[in-house]
Amino acid sequence: MTTTKNPNRKKVRDEDFDLIQGINSGQVEKFHDLVKRYDQKLYNFSLRMCRDHSDAEDMVQDTFLNVFRYLKDFRYETKFKNWLYKVAASTCIKKRRKSKFAPEKELSLDEFRPSEEAEVPDQVPEWALMPLDKLLNEELAGSINQSILSLPKKYRMVIVLRDIEGFSTAETAQILNLSPANVKVRLHRARLFLRDKLKGYFDNDQ
Amino acid sequence: MTSDDHDHKHCLEMFEKLSEYIDGELDHATCAEIQKHADDCLACFSCLETLKRTIALCKNVKDKPIPPNLSRKLTEIIENIPKTTSP
Repeated sequence: MTTTKNPNRKKVRDEDFDLIQGINSGQVEKFHDLVKRYDQKLYNFSLRMCRDHSDAEDMVQDTFLNVFRYLKDFRYETKFKNWLYKVAASTCIKKRRKSKFAPEKELSLDEFRPSEEAEVPDQVPEWALMPLDKLLNEELAGSINQSILSLPKKYRMVIVLRDIEGFSTAETAQILNLSPANVKVRLHRARLFLRDKLKGYFDNDQ
Repeated sequence: MTSDDHDHKHCLEMFEKLSEYIDGELDHATCAEIQKHADDCLACFSCLETLKRTIALCKNVKDKPIPPNLSRKLTEIIENIPKTTSP
């Protein structure tokens, strides 16, 4: 997880800057503060990447160990949070390579494209119009989390970084070493996949 | 996806750009074109609104608290890092 040195690049001074400077200058105990700042976010990211709680916990531990190991190489060329997620994504991808998974399914836009013969709706579904706080309950949240887990990982990583963690297209591209165009393609397909799952959820509810 | 008075191909072109439209990543002219199409086509408008709602739901799903045993493990890991070792 090394970062290429670029002496002309301006350092990003974010809210973690002083903490990291302290840790890198020998105040190792401050690493605890850094972990506390991000452990819950990282745990939830890991839960969405791994299908198993114990794997998610391993991923959090491995990520923080890797962060400690490579923190001296952090060049402040990006926000620390972005670098942390880059380490986490890389830890997750390496973990997957070590296990024996079948090749991942590709999502084609054709699966979601509306057909010309499809029935024209006479109104927008109620779930798209209801106030969000009236709609989102624990059961629906559970169903969304399950649907996210059922996405192939390459699409899941993108939608989680973009729509749950709130990274921009450019930041997501940087974290995952993808082109912004590729991030957009994967994001659109992942959103359409989730939308179909939600349609199914609400259709069954009626 | 279409009624008799407009072209399904146009609906499909819009469909491919909906995420970029929602994210504000398209130029002004394309945005205006999508907005106009969605105003005229209930199927595309519905598609747009359900996609927007999907994104809003994702953004609002609450995080789970970190399990106490994981919190303890992380503290143990940090305590076991020799104090003289910088990263």
